[in-house]
Amino acid sequence: MDKKTKIIALCGKGGVGKTSVSALMIKNLAQRKDLKVLAIDADPAVGLCTALGVQIKKTVDDIRNDLINSIKKGESQDKAATLNMLDYELFDALTEYDNIGLLAIGRPESEGCFCKVNSLLKDIIQDLAKNFDVVLIDGEAGVEQINRRVMKTVDHLIMISDTSAKGVNVASTIKHLAQDNKAVDYKSMGMILNRARDESEVSNIKENLPIQLLGWLPEDDLIREFDFQGRSFLDFPDSAGACKTVKQIIQDLQIL
Amino acid sequence: MELFGETFLDIRNYIEGKNCRSLAAAEQNNAWPLGKGRNVVLSDEMAVELGSPQMNSVSCLIWTQKPDLIRDGKINLIGPDVKDSPEKSLPFGKVVLIGVSGFDEESAYDKYKEIEAVRYSLDLKGYMIRAVSQYQREWSRISREAVQKGFSFEVLGSALREEYLKKSFVHAVEFLFVTSSGEDVGELQEITKNVGRKISALNKMLSEIDPDCDECEYNDVCDEVDELKGMRKTRDEKRMNTNG
Repeated sequence: MDKKTKIIALCGKGGVGKTSVSALMIKNLAQRKDLKVLAIDADPAVGLCTALGVQIKKTVDDIRNDLINSIKKGESQDKAATLNMLDYELFDALTEYDNIGLLAIGRPESEGCFCKVNSLLKDIIQDLAKNFDVVLIDGEAGVEQINRRVMKTVDHLIMISDTSAKGVNVASTIKHLAQDNKAVDYKSMGMILNRARDESEVSNIKENLPIQLLGWLPEDDLIREFDFQGRSFLDFPDSAGACKTVKQIIQDLQIL
Repeated sequence: MELFGETFLDIRNYIEGKNCRSLAAAEQNNAWPLGKGRNVVLSDEMAVELGSPQMNSVSCLIWTQKPDLIRDGKINLIGPDVKDSPEKSLPFGKVVLIGVSGFDEESAYDKYKEIEAVRYSLDLKGYMIRAVSQYQREWSRISREAVQKGFSFEVLGSALREEYLKKSFVHAVEFLFVTSSGEDVGELQEITKNVGRKISALNKMLSEIDPDCDECEYNDVCDEVDELKGMRKTRDEKRMNTNG
């Protein structure tokens, strides 16, 4: 039977620890050597690449801008040849580490509407993704960016928030956009609370939470240390509480 | 129409001047397992990669309607086969020589596109291909598991030939694979440098209503190839008749 790719997207307000959680998920997934994992850094700041200690040579937006420039120069664009060229360039942009491929989306620089180019690139990313067992997208705050630039459909949409009202509100807005405005198709949705003080704080928030709580992480000195020192989260100790919690969450989601 | 007469001659001379091994494509149906659409080979599981963006690479396809120019089923290999590769990454040259029929001025480009697409549809477990016809580059990877199970240029050539022969206008297929050195691949690049430009010139001549030959980037290849010269002359005559 053909294997099915599982796609997870993480979103949430900036600064809530979304990238650290993404990096810990990748760390856990990378340990399953029988799985191929595609990590997509959809944040223009390319924070996931830094958190994994990976140097990016080229982003999807570099490829996009090259194509737009060649269109502007009037170079002829046969569709099939263009798709094959984008596929080649995209694979060249993939940074590989063991069983992980990391792709950075980057920041769009060209002004104007290039929906057709975005759409071609999205098709190629989706085709590439089918070759992997798990795809994890570390998104921007807005879920619509995932749809527009990376993937139309995801299996698990995971909101990350700290315990602030702002963070939880942003997560609720994302839920509204995804659910009511159909900003992205998804099969399940849940939230991870980050930097919670204790169980009772989580219980208080959970009472009014409009989204299923998948798990929570306390304020963690080790995460802060890894962030501060720019160490790769792939080296994060397995025995650390945050690593175990994230592993449990992905096991509960039946991704591992 | 014959666009590549000289290239065929140059390729034959190139093969004769090198230490070339001759393999035969299998006649029976290709039995290699399918990749079922999962054909990405990551470097972690890779035995060898050919023609990566960091290496010399050239790949093209040339056709002829003269059957005696093709040795059907022959695989010419210059350099080590996949399992004997001394390095994880090798330079790569590939030329597919195809015997066809019915390639006239009107249909040649569309038929070329059909056969050009064949390499992308090949679905062999443990074999990944990324190629750009505009750059005349081909980058492939073969997994360790595939090499252990016997993947070779014979397997690749046989599977490709089988796919090409499914086209009713393809009658014979021969391959040249080069893995020996960057210099050998560079030499092949030089021989085939105008293949893509001739095909682009043909496409431009067919697709543009009123091309300005003086400004055209392919003017030199149209001057060089009789068939393209003929097409240009016919087009110019038609234009003069229309303009009175």
